[in-house]
Amino acid sequence: MKDGADADAGTPMDVQEAAVIMQDAGDRARQELRLSHRASFLTWGVILLLGYGAMWLNVRGQQPFHGVNPGAFAAVTLLANGAALATVAQARAGSGIGGASALRRRIHFLSLIAGLAGMFVLEGALYRAGASRVVIGIFEAAAPILVAGLFYLASSAPRLDWPMCALGVWLVAVAAGGAFAGPVGIWAVGALAGGLAFLLAGVVEPVLHRA
Amino acid sequence: MSDDELDPVIHAPARLRIAITLATLDDGDNLSFTRLQELIGLTPGNLITHLRKLEDAGYVSTHKNGSGVTARTSVALTHSGRAALERYTTVLRQLLDSAEKP
Repeated sequence: MKDGADADAGTPMDVQEAAVIMQDAGDRARQELRLSHRASFLTWGVILLLGYGAMWLNVRGQQPFHGVNPGAFAAVTLLANGAALATVAQARAGSGIGGASALRRRIHFLSLIAGLAGMFVLEGALYRAGASRVVIGIFEAAAPILVAGLFYLASSAPRLDWPMCALGVWLVAVAAGGAFAGPVGIWAVGALAGGLAFLLAGVVEPVLHRA
Repeated sequence: MSDDELDPVIHAPARLRIAITLATLDDGDNLSFTRLQELIGLTPGNLITHLRKLEDAGYVSTHKNGSGVTARTSVALTHSGRAALERYTTVLRQLLDSAEKP
């Protein structure tokens, strides 16, 4: 670190030097201040693989199908969202950026929470309306992935983040297509197709942004 | 055209780095003092000195939130600071172009 007399208040600087400083400082700031999604992608990947994998083990071989254990489902959902929120909050705090975009991100994240909360309410309404355990089983596995997919798709728009856009589209496809695998198979589809997609996104994200 | 046409407030290595770093933020965003210090690589005292010069010219604004250990000082480029940096960049480009011409 520079100090004292080297504070360069009156240091002469030629135009070439100024151009180099502008280039270097700009490149460094863009690289250092970019909010990386790597940690949240990897967290979601592990959560989907383990959480959906555990749910699949829970419902596998049920005859007749009676669905996942509600306590286990609630615990996995709370743990998953807690871990994901903590990862995002840590990444945001480390960036040092405040102001309008931080507020926008908070509102954006609220959309994910609202979507997931709405999903639980909707599940209750389906149950109350007499939907079968099979229908509810498909819904409770597919809906969180659908909500996450729409969240990432919407998040990709402001910065034209194509990898995130692709991830969002893929998750929507996994949720919609996976529903045809039935109330047991959807958990395995979500764990593998959803979880591995997040892990892949976490691995390639830094590479794509460096390119 | 000469170097004298470059804004002297910005035309110093540390202040140019500060202005460029803050200009990479979106409009309405700010950066914490400690993060800016990490990126620029100055001591807190030197950074304050340069920020004060930029603030006196109306190019940056600083805000302190909270108190004690939770205090957070944030720094942002003002609209006139962004405009001044754009003018500086234009003049610098013209100087570089004229230097390249035989």
